[in-house]
Amino acid sequence: MSVPGTEIRQGIAKAMEFRETLLSSIRTLRSHKMRSLLTMLGIVIGTGSLVSVMSLIAGLNSSVSAQFQSVGTDIISVSRYPWVQMGNSDEFRDRKHITLEDAAAVGRLRSVGLVAANIHTRRHLAYDGRVMKYTLVTGSTAEYEIIDNYLVEEGRFITDLDVERRRQSVVIGADVAGELFPVRDPLGKDVRVGGRRFTVVGVLKSKGDIFGESLDDLVIIPITTFQKAYGSRRSVVIDCSPAEGVSVERTMDDIRQVMRARRRVPRGEPDDFAINTQEDLMSAYNSLTGVLYFAMTGIVGLALLVGGIGVMNVMLVSVAERTREIGVRKAIGARRGDITAQFLIESIILTGIGGAMGIAGGVGIALLVKAVTPLPAEVTVGAVALAAAFAGITGVAFGVYPAHRAGKLRPIEALRYE
Amino acid sequence: MLIELRDMFKTYEVGTQQVHALRDISFSIEEGEYVAIMGPSGSGKSTLMNIVGCLDTPTEGSYLLKGTEVAALDDDELAEIRSAEIGFVFQTFNLLPRMTAFQNVELPLIYGRAARQTRAERVWETMDAVGLGERAHHRPNELSGGQRQRVAIARALINRPSIILADEPTGNLDSVTGEEIMQIFRGLSDAGNTIILVTHEQYIAEHASRIVKLLDGRIASDTMT
Repeated sequence: MSVPGTEIRQGIAKAMEFRETLLSSIRTLRSHKMRSLLTMLGIVIGTGSLVSVMSLIAGLNSSVSAQFQSVGTDIISVSRYPWVQMGNSDEFRDRKHITLEDAAAVGRLRSVGLVAANIHTRRHLAYDGRVMKYTLVTGSTAEYEIIDNYLVEEGRFITDLDVERRRQSVVIGADVAGELFPVRDPLGKDVRVGGRRFTVVGVLKSKGDIFGESLDDLVIIPITTFQKAYGSRRSVVIDCSPAEGVSVERTMDDIRQVMRARRRVPRGEPDDFAINTQEDLMSAYNSLTGVLYFAMTGIVGLALLVGGIGVMNVMLVSVAERTREIGVRKAIGARRGDITAQFLIESIILTGIGGAMGIAGGVGIALLVKAVTPLPAEVTVGAVALAAAFAGITGVAFGVYPAHRAGKLRPIEALRYE
Repeated sequence: MLIELRDMFKTYEVGTQQVHALRDISFSIEEGEYVAIMGPSGSGKSTLMNIVGCLDTPTEGSYLLKGTEVAALDDDELAEIRSAEIGFVFQTFNLLPRMTAFQNVELPLIYGRAARQTRAERVWETMDAVGLGERAHHRPNELSGGQRQRVAIARALINRPSIILADEPTGNLDSVTGEEIMQIFRGLSDAGNTIILVTHEQYIAEHASRIVKLLDGRIASDTMT
């Protein structure tokens, strides 16, 4: 007796030579379309969700990593609210505002390099009959350009002099330039920001968008002008970078001490402010994709298991129905491995077709999501290959038992079967 | 000697009882003989045919096929012997319904690992020999009973076996068609093939040159016609 593994492998190698096995398998499956289709459903769902979820995650990954690069990597941002909020956010509402004095105190720290306080609101913009509603208006200083990684396309950024003199200067984002100045050069033109007149001094380079939200729909004005125009009773965000040669952690510790002291946070109480870094976003993002992967693994695993059991069931039925055929094949010279290979190939074709349908569906879903929602999606070769491999493996894993049973049928009993 | 059976027994266990399908069978067949095996149902003729056809092995005794002891072989070795030495013709034709006549005839060549190039040629040659050339690409359900049995005979001949084993080959055919099929066997025998024919019809058996009669699992008579 030969080892079952080698027997099957030899059988497959020989079976592959003749496409008759393949064709006869396809003929069998076609003659039971409904049954085959139902059997494939689990495989279709499994591979489909694998491809679509992996495509979505791949799309998110590339858009997020591009995004993180566009914002400075070493930025430390002190604000009332954390960037990533978990649970109830009501507790943040009663927190004391962060002030420009806080920003100045942070700026005096040795471990801090650049500091840019910034304040935000949303206002309508208007120029020459054109209107943009609820555009983000940011008041800040010259340092904001460097810390938050803005690039000027045309003109200049806000300067110290703008801040000092409370000038009515405005730097506009790419979207604003496109919307309000479709043909004219925006530089030197007067636009209305929340009803007040500002002169355009610069246009920013596009930063693209993240999750469908444009990062170019904004204007930046001097922080002093902002307070005069829209009031000073707003909490300030302090963006800063560590001083040369100082670690982010060290800088964060220093900032935390200063802020706790200034806000009189008792010892042992938690911070009543948030110190945000890219890492917080990164870890939040990673835990999100982690959950997605986990859910996907569950769905895929379950669907393939259900699909696999379906395949095994249908193959066992097929073996039973074709007992006599197996007997005839054996009588005219088929070896055990020939029969085993035939049924194994049938099972792989079954899951293969299911896998192909699932992959097509998954790609379709990914493209549909990309087309109708702001979520990005990227179909990768890896996702398709993985899905195909899973489909094939399921075919083999759940096809082995029925195929083995077919192979070891005794010819006289099989021939006698009605 | 092509076939040599010695003191051969085939015993089945039915519950606790032993049923002897064949007892103490000894006989031999030479190359080129045309032998009919006769007997009423239950006489053991099917069992004998299964053993001679290497579909089954004896419980006791010896079966030498071309000098090889078949009783000791395993499944795959038996399959190889069937592939190379035996051609079966069944009462119910046993063609594979989803395949064309051509593909049915070709199948033993595939299991015999014949090269693709030589297969088509052999199939055409054999189908022409049984007068089926133009029906090659029809499925069994598009063929008459006589045509189906011709396909089955072509399939049995395709590997040029040492023995053609026909189990009631005319049992499902009308007498005219049955006679035509028997003429094909006649021709095959004249061409030097060894044929073993299992039947319970005397007039069919008389086509053979030797008749072995079985009764209750034993050889009752062995006569030349």
